[in-house]
Amino acid sequence: MIQLQNIEKYYANKGLKSYILRHVSTTIKQGEFVSIMGPSGAGKSTLLNILGMLEEPTYGTYEFMGENVVSLNERKRIELYRNHIGFVFQAYHLIDEMTVAENIEAPLLYKKVGSAERKSRVAEMLDRFNMVAKKDLFPNQLSGGQQQLVGIARALAAQPLIILADEPTGNLQSAQALQIMELFKKLNEEENITIIQVTHSEINAGYGTRILHLLDGVISEDLQVLG
Amino acid sequence: MFKLNLKIALRNLWRNKTSSLLNICGLAIGLASCLLLLLYVSYEWGYDKQGKDSANVYQVLVNSTGINGENQGTGRQTPGILGPVMKQNYAGISAMIRTGEPEAQLIANGTKGFKRQGRYADADILKIFEYNFISGDPKTALSSPGNVIVTESTARALFGTADVLNKSVRFDNKYNLKVTGVIKDLPGNTSFGFDYLMPWTLFESISSWVKLPNWTNNSWTTLVKLDPTVKVESINQSIKGLIKRNEADTRSSAFLFPLSKLHLYDTFINGVSTGGRIEQLRLFMGLAIGILLIACVNFMNMATAKSEKRAKEVGIKKTIGATKTSLITQFLLESLILTFCSALMAIALIELCLPLFNNVLAIELTISYSNPYVWLSIFAVVILTGLIAGSYPAFYLSAFNPVQILKKRSFKRGLLAVNLRHILVVIQFSFAVILIIATGIIYKQIQFIKNRPAGYQVNELVELQQEGNLIGKFELLKDKLLQSGAAKSVSQLSGSMSNSNSNFWGLEWEDATEAGRHEIFSQLCTTYDFVKTTGVKLLEGRDFSSHLASDTSAVMLSQTAIKRMNLSNPIGKIVKYQGQDCKIIGVFEDFIWASPFKANLPMIVAFNKRMGGYVSIRLNQANSSSANISTIERVVKEINPAYPVEISFVDQLYGEKLKSQKILGILSNLFGGLAIFISCLGLFGLASYSAELRTKEIGVRKVLGASVFNLIQLLSMSFLKMVLVAIVIAVPIANYMMSNWLKGFEFHTSISWVIIVLAAAGTLGIALFTVSFQAFKAAKTNPVQALKYQ
Repeated sequence: MIQLQNIEKYYANKGLKSYILRHVSTTIKQGEFVSIMGPSGAGKSTLLNILGMLEEPTYGTYEFMGENVVSLNERKRIELYRNHIGFVFQAYHLIDEMTVAENIEAPLLYKKVGSAERKSRVAEMLDRFNMVAKKDLFPNQLSGGQQQLVGIARALAAQPLIILADEPTGNLQSAQALQIMELFKKLNEEENITIIQVTHSEINAGYGTRILHLLDGVISEDLQVLG
Repeated sequence: MFKLNLKIALRNLWRNKTSSLLNICGLAIGLASCLLLLLYVSYEWGYDKQGKDSANVYQVLVNSTGINGENQGTGRQTPGILGPVMKQNYAGISAMIRTGEPEAQLIANGTKGFKRQGRYADADILKIFEYNFISGDPKTALSSPGNVIVTESTARALFGTADVLNKSVRFDNKYNLKVTGVIKDLPGNTSFGFDYLMPWTLFESISSWVKLPNWTNNSWTTLVKLDPTVKVESINQSIKGLIKRNEADTRSSAFLFPLSKLHLYDTFINGVSTGGRIEQLRLFMGLAIGILLIACVNFMNMATAKSEKRAKEVGIKKTIGATKTSLITQFLLESLILTFCSALMAIALIELCLPLFNNVLAIELTISYSNPYVWLSIFAVVILTGLIAGSYPAFYLSAFNPVQILKKRSFKRGLLAVNLRHILVVIQFSFAVILIIATGIIYKQIQFIKNRPAGYQVNELVELQQEGNLIGKFELLKDKLLQSGAAKSVSQLSGSMSNSNSNFWGLEWEDATEAGRHEIFSQLCTTYDFVKTTGVKLLEGRDFSSHLASDTSAVMLSQTAIKRMNLSNPIGKIVKYQGQDCKIIGVFEDFIWASPFKANLPMIVAFNKRMGGYVSIRLNQANSSSANISTIERVVKEINPAYPVEISFVDQLYGEKLKSQKILGILSNLFGGLAIFISCLGLFGLASYSAELRTKEIGVRKVLGASVFNLIQLLSMSFLKMVLVAIVIAVPIANYMMSNWLKGFEFHTSISWVIIVLAAAGTLGIALFTVSFQAFKAAKTNPVQALKYQ
């Protein structure tokens, strides 16, 4: 599903190149649950951003579902976001002015899903995450774990093929973190959704099927997790 | 989608109450000023354009030429015979009327009488202007000399009802007229207004001289209506020599000018219209747009300053599939909602201010809510404002790159954006400073003209029209007034002291040149006690004296007249005035009779008992003026019971001369003040926002030992720099503009640096106050609060 070849990312500063990523090549198949690990500054988030097409690599090719997406125009990229990719952020990034239900509904609006279908999908999500009672609350009225659940519900509402999560549990307490990871595992196993997450935690990584270790911009290890 | 956007926009407004309020208020004031000015502009613009065929109506103007072929001016008065001759000879003229200036004359129903503006006109006036007849037949309403058309309000004043067809009214206490038409009141923006309209034939039967086929007496206004097929140029071509052909001694030539344009293009140089009121109108249009733009700039600045907060929203929305277009639509929608709220507030503001505005400017502006065009134009202005104000933030915000924002690295505004915001603030304040300086200079110019010595004592001088019995019994009136103690002195004048009303050429004197014979003189006829009553300053000689019989054929001349006539030792010399030899008995200092903005014409004051018109009274200062007035009223009523007594104070009439400049002064004062206010509102918003953004920096600096004063300085400086730049830009522009404006006046003041310095200091002071208030608040906060959350 994802094919990276020789991805490089550097910033040129006064003639000096400071590399973030070097010679990153890998393939991620549909249905994998990949955790990207590594110390601070290893380039984890940059790699995830490139996977999410939020950043462009300086060099290299990136094929998403068989299509080269390096320097894709904004319209086509947004098309991919609408249909295939769901983002989950460490800081949740819910829209403060929208209620829980509206936050979940927003991507469907952009996808131009019909009103009846929208209503049913939002209801389904709320139901699934046990948030029916909270649907009219605003994000700042929820706890961090609850906000992240809404964030995931929002990512799932558009029925994506892949979820990109940047330290999804970084701001959460361990019990809540556990809940989120269980959820990811379930989504991966039951709905065959590809999940790529950046994480610091060995425990979190243990939920996945594969671990990519990044060190100074280079993939130092590529492990299959034995379940 | 739309519904959700709307909901979010409203939530956003609600959440940021302060900044929403600042935005809405600023925009509302801007919109209200803009709409008010546009209302005024459309009022002036609509002058004489009410009828369907108003474009086919022309006024006959007369260019007069001097002996050397130079243009001596363009006049609106035409010979009475001109119109009928034109109508007879040119087939394209479908209607022609002659009319004079309306006069406040007595019209009465029995004993209930009022002085109202009465106008004489040929019956064709009903074909030229489309009056709304409530009753009566426009075809026959003016067909006989005994008819009169009254306006609705006149009918109500006289009879208490508008249903007065065929009733009789008494005009000037002499003539019984039959009401043959009642029309709706005329709009304020018409050049030919009246309260009642009488046929020209009545005028001719009252004053037989009007009927004389005279080609040299330019007294009447002539209007014509052309067939739409006729080209005005061809008519103008053929009437060029018409007056000359009929009267070889004249050097004037008539031409047609569109009446619908005359009000705005009323300045003629060398016989060609070169503008006029339209320039003031353009100024106001500019002012309207400028103020609205200032308000829009506020909105833009606030919105882009907020971008840091909004950026996150943009980033998220982009990652969940929002396109640029949908984001732009959302931001535009928000600004339109805000503009809409402002528009509602603006209309409320206008309704509140309109009576005051009308009062100050002495006009009648209304918003006719039933007129769809009014709504359409308000709607257009609102939409346009919303789009202008919203466009920059919309494009700016929607262009954000989501990764920059979401990566959580400190998000930096582009260098360009910061600069643009600074530029907008600078433009805003430049505009405000220019307006303030302009206001100051207009005020100074008005004061300058006001302080120009009138040349006579305008205070404690009153006048009233000499009519009815006052004409025959002037001596009795004079005696009684003096006896009553209300008046110190009384004199009869041929016209009002406050306004130039008569001039002529053809004065002859010893050694007069041909050019001198064509010199135009102002003329005023009077009787005894002229100098004593008016307070005109005698330089040589004496006033007319009742002890010297020869004074009945004497004249006094103004200083300018003596100079132009090149007379040395004028006293005792003889001039030939209106065909009669008259002795010069006095020379007086020039007094302002016409416009105080222009140099005085040479003037002659002649003794003539028969040329009455006005009674001029110097009040006795020993009594209060109200006591004096009531005494005078009683005395006049005794002698002239049929007429209501209307006494005017000359100083008030004199003040009227400054009216149009005063309007300009008031408007630029008002809107200059508003411009500053709106700009400061914007600055206030920006300052509070920047203080909020820099909370952390302020916290750190405080921990490091910065004092409150240091911090205020830090926060205020960047804003004050912008205001300073604005001042530097504005001063030369204002200087240039206003010196050009001043050049338009024959008598003008100079631009004083005091005004400029005061304007600059004032603006800076207000801005400093606005900004430092916010800075002080920010600097006083506890550093721990600021640092805790970082």
